[in-house]
Amino acid sequence: MVNDAGQLYTMEGIAAGLIMLLAAYIVVSTTSIYTTGDTHIPDMQLEQLGSDVLAMMDTPDSVDGESQLVKFIETGEGNDLREAFLANCTMRSGDPDNSLRAQVYLSYRRTGGNVNTTPISREDESYTGRENAVRVTRWVQLTGNPSLPPDMPDDMQRSDPQTVLVEVLLWRA
Amino acid sequence: MLSLDFLVGFTIFLLALIMVVSMVPGLLAGLESSGIDYDAVAYRTGVILVEDPGWPVSPPWESKGVEHKDKNIIVGEEGIQRMGLAVSREAPNILLSAKVEKFFNDTFFDRNDYRSKVIFGDIPYSYRISLRSLDDTYHYMTGDLLPADYGYIRRVVKIKEPSWTEIVGSNSNYWTAEPTMPTQNFIVRFDFSQLRDQTISPVYQIDPRRESVNVTITKFEEYHNDTTNDMILQHIRFQKVGVADDIPFEYEIEDPDLYILRVDGNLHHLTPNTTVSENISLVLKPAATADFPLDDDSILNIHFTFGNTKISGTHNYDYKTPPLKTGVLEVAIW
Amino acid sequence: MARLNEEGQWIVLMGLLVAVALFFLAVIVNQSALVGQTTAEGVLEFPKNDIRDLREAVFDYVDVYEMYGEPTRKQLRNDIIEISLERKNAVVSFSVDDPQDILGHEMRPVTIHYNNGVTVYDETTYH
Repeated sequence: MVNDAGQLYTMEGIAAGLIMLLAAYIVVSTTSIYTTGDTHIPDMQLEQLGSDVLAMMDTPDSVDGESQLVKFIETGEGNDLREAFLANCTMRSGDPDNSLRAQVYLSYRRTGGNVNTTPISREDESYTGRENAVRVTRWVQLTGNPSLPPDMPDDMQRSDPQTVLVEVLLWRA
Repeated sequence: MLSLDFLVGFTIFLLALIMVVSMVPGLLAGLESSGIDYDAVAYRTGVILVEDPGWPVSPPWESKGVEHKDKNIIVGEEGIQRMGLAVSREAPNILLSAKVEKFFNDTFFDRNDYRSKVIFGDIPYSYRISLRSLDDTYHYMTGDLLPADYGYIRRVVKIKEPSWTEIVGSNSNYWTAEPTMPTQNFIVRFDFSQLRDQTISPVYQIDPRRESVNVTITKFEEYHNDTTNDMILQHIRFQKVGVADDIPFEYEIEDPDLYILRVDGNLHHLTPNTTVSENISLVLKPAATADFPLDDDSILNIHFTFGNTKISGTHNYDYKTPPLKTGVLEVAIW
Repeated sequence: MARLNEEGQWIVLMGLLVAVALFFLAVIVNQSALVGQTTAEGVLEFPKNDIRDLREAVFDYVDVYEMYGEPTRKQLRNDIIEISLERKNAVVSFSVDDPQDILGHEMRPVTIHYNNGVTVYDETTYH
């Protein structure tokens, strides 16, 4: 009864088993598990939120009022801008959404003609090891107040009116 | 009769097959097919609410219709197609308070209305939409309690409240020593081309066909002519400049969806023929003005006819709007 | 052996069939996971807020058009154009013409062009 006529079955069985296992292994190891970060949906939510907040800070509350954002830039209050920005971002129906952080930058054209970007708010303590950050921007037109706002870099001084770009980097801590 | 080797081969094959089949669910681990688009639907709903004024725009969808309960028929035979809260297409993120109050009215709209006019989509999503202003004067919510996992979007907005004009009695522009007899006329003028001045940002423009307007006359006793008799408000009529007759309107029926007239605090219709001693306030709603035969550069006059007063003149409705209120709108979909 | 015994080959054939089915399943799974990703990427990719913001910046420029002479206006224009190119990776150009009478108000025609490599936006409007 026991002879080597059936060895072929055994070999076929092992070969089939090997093929299936190999295929399954390759397939499972190449399909990555998608985390929510891969879909960029949190990025989209943050970008929309940040743009909204900058736009609302730039809208005066009455027809002859002043834009809060322009006032912050003209007086050079980068830290206050960051605080006001975060206060608007964290606002929610229930508790405030306290895990958001922001850093404010200002892009302007130097008198030489090229563009410089400088941070205007204090560095954040938790600067390292953060999740993806989004950058939201808003144009601000300055009227050329001859006196330079405090803490602004020297090569920004121009007594002419100029248009600058406020950039805010927003991330979740 | 099966040989042993055959059985061994077959067994090895089956074992391998079972191992492979048990690895397959690991492929599907990170996926739920119905949950994939919750965030996208929430984002789209947020955009419809915050950046779109809704449809129809004029007369606005939030003005009540011929039958107050029939939300699918409003004046002009178009139903509410889409509910959006923005003031206009050119003013995104600025919400109109009248639209906000109408949208969150749970007794008027039901779940199907929200699904078909705001959320859209083939699947009946569950939702929760909430609006809160920084000073908590607006604190609205509609929908169900939040589950563990949901799609979400948060929009920051500003809320625009109705404009008003107040004529205080001591304003000598309208006091005259020689009033016309037997009745005196006072006109509040809405110059549409001025109110909708394109050089002013659309956020602050006033369009009486889309927003309520409020005319208040206070300290009326200063206009008293003959103090032995009372002052009388005979009637209020709407006129279009250039047209001789009054605009056709139900002047003798009180309708709070079209206007609210208070004389000394009491409600009246537009032909009150009643005494006035202190103040008059008229709130004219867009449901009424949208129906008038006016276009973008018409001039609308609200014509007050008084008896026994020293009032006369024309007051141009000017820009007095309450400041915009910052708020946050959240949409959750699951 | 006299002839090759091919009776057991059906086992290998079954094994191969299962492997092919696995690959097919993996391809489908891969495609469906991308649905959520491309939706969000589509939203992120369209520069809605950038274009709106650019329009407001250009309208602010038009508002002060008459206050300054041509050299200052050129500087303001170049501010927007160069900062857009450097920081927003977008080519922007705009121009303002003489005022016309629209509905009783004097308004200037404004032409705006925006191109960030993926989206091109052109607008002619009055302000």
